[in-house]
Amino acid sequence: MTVFKAYLKVLNKNKWMVILYTVILIFFAGFNMKTSDTRGFVTEKPDILIVNEDENIGITKHFINYIKENSNIKEIKEDENARNDALFYRDVNYIIYIPKNFRIDFLEGKNPEIKVKSTGDYMAFLSEMLVERYFKIANIYKSIETNEEKLEMLIENTLQKETEVEMTSKLDTDTLTKAAYFYNFANYSILAGSVFVICFIISSFKEEKVRKRTIVSSHNYRKYNRELLLSNSLFAFTLWLFYVLLSFILVGKAMLTSHGIVMILNSFVFSFTSLTLAFFIGNLISNKEAISGIVNVIALGSSFLCGAFVPMEFLPDFVITISHILPSYYYISNNEMVKTLEIISLESLQPFFINIGMMLLFSLLFIVLTNIVTKRKSS
Amino acid sequence: MKNIIEVKKLTKMYKNLKAVDNLSFEVKEGEILGLLGPNGSGKSTTMNCMLSLLEFKEGTITIFGKEMKPNAYDIKKEIGVVFQDVALFEELTVYDNMDYFCGLYIKDKRTRKQYIEDAIKLVGLEDFKKFYPKQLSGGLLRRLNIACGIAHKPKIVFLDEPTVAVDPQSRNNILDGIEKLRENGATIIYTTHYMEEVEILCDRVIILDKGIIIAEGTPDELKELANMEEKVSVYIEKLEEKHIEEIKKLKNVSEVTYHNSNLIVIYNKGKNNLISLTKYLEKERISYDKIYSERPTLNDVFLELTGKELRD
Repeated sequence: MTVFKAYLKVLNKNKWMVILYTVILIFFAGFNMKTSDTRGFVTEKPDILIVNEDENIGITKHFINYIKENSNIKEIKEDENARNDALFYRDVNYIIYIPKNFRIDFLEGKNPEIKVKSTGDYMAFLSEMLVERYFKIANIYKSIETNEEKLEMLIENTLQKETEVEMTSKLDTDTLTKAAYFYNFANYSILAGSVFVICFIISSFKEEKVRKRTIVSSHNYRKYNRELLLSNSLFAFTLWLFYVLLSFILVGKAMLTSHGIVMILNSFVFSFTSLTLAFFIGNLISNKEAISGIVNVIALGSSFLCGAFVPMEFLPDFVITISHILPSYYYISNNEMVKTLEIISLESLQPFFINIGMMLLFSLLFIVLTNIVTKRKSS
Repeated sequence: MKNIIEVKKLTKMYKNLKAVDNLSFEVKEGEILGLLGPNGSGKSTTMNCMLSLLEFKEGTITIFGKEMKPNAYDIKKEIGVVFQDVALFEELTVYDNMDYFCGLYIKDKRTRKQYIEDAIKLVGLEDFKKFYPKQLSGGLLRRLNIACGIAHKPKIVFLDEPTVAVDPQSRNNILDGIEKLRENGATIIYTTHYMEEVEILCDRVIILDKGIIIAEGTPDELKELANMEEKVSVYIEKLEEKHIEEIKKLKNVSEVTYHNSNLIVIYNKGKNNLISLTKYLEKERISYDKIYSERPTLNDVFLELTGKELRD
């Protein structure tokens, strides 16, 4: 208990760093979870200006009405410079120029050309889709129907048709996305918290002079090392448990589903890998001043490279390739995979277990390296 | 007094360098043994071998009649060590540091608390219990370092240069503390290169050089090896060569040196040497200043035996 008691006292000196990493986690994960609401859609309408030089009757009128229904029609004064300015300043996304005699030329099959100007953005693309859709349908019916009124009716009926889509998946993607956000961000907090605190404590307890004093004492040195190992493991476990509880508070009951439990299991294995990494670094370095820098490089570096802060799909291929050498990659990949899994089964979890295996291999590597470092130091 | 520590034919090699060469000595119960020697003479290596901190090539070390090994925890329980470098937790207070290091030996909470209070009193840190090491001066840190090493009331205490870089007040406090430890019955092995401390504290002294014992005995016994009885130093602004030659011919004089206006006359025996020298100077009308006589020191012994000074 002597070692454990001193451990707690030294740990107490570092509590603010753990609190800081937790606040960062809550702030960033909470912010992303708030802005990641994927429920429902809001239809957007482009801003369109129609310059009609034809008579507003028949098929021309029908086309203009269709555009009006599906966009925000803007009124700009009859001046080409003013129209260009409106486009430049994004007051309109799209300008449709309907030429003189358009209606008659269209009905006579002369394929009159409709000129357009666009901003080139996605709203302009949406406007273009509207125009193309209308004339594709109109051209099809024009070959079988010559009566203008009937033609308008046929076009209208087709445009009114809607396809009903039924979601067969019962996956709560929104909540699972939130959970994945939280656990991806936890990559930083678990790594930084474990590495900082454990490195700091190891460098205090294994500082050469203190170590010598401990070796010459009547306290069994192996037992001392074991106590230190257990204390650090207990800290890492407590930190993990705390973040799991936090995920229950922030994400809710979804953490009790099979998806949530798999994510928790993933974070447990990652915490173990972080613990072994912290042991390795703690035994490697002897300068306390260097710890903060090393923590920043490891925790921030791997979080950025492996997609904890920026989703993997936005990262360049070469970054993803580099991130394969970091355990965080396998941890975050698992979170991203689990949130999209329709069914949790041994078969569907095969890639998950491969990633878990990779994390455990990293742990083994860190344990071997720690042994090499400690043996070299003690000799 | 029985032997409490026995070192026999101890040899320690650092690659091709013999740091300690065939060293044999014993430490008697209740005595203060001084290990004296210049830097690199093998004092700390010998001590580290005795504490099983270093593996050695040849020899045996027995403490309380048992062989000292890294896992000899029953022996280690009775040993306290104060290293030259301050070994403390920066994150723990004075009391917590002592509680931790004492806790490595004493498991009973109540006994430990009492022992810590005693040690704090011994080194005079009563007013600093709640201070952190970085809030203490160098001297107070050294005192805390000592307190952490002896709080468990060991029977044998190893002190490795405990007064290095310490202010005079703390130094006196530390030396007083060591005296008190002896009064309480502890056996002390004291390594230092400060001969004055050895002369004040130690019952017996071992002088080491290049890993071998060059002299061993009580401070008085060792001084007899210096081949001198008295050393007289006189400040004389200017002294002619003929006068130096005449002083050499005075009774009992064995050696005369004159350098930087300092005349040093060494006598191998006899009384009234100082009077005879002053009479000669007055007769020759040589004006002088700052004259003093001193007995041989352990440094003189070392000089006599090795041709170099302890602090070289």
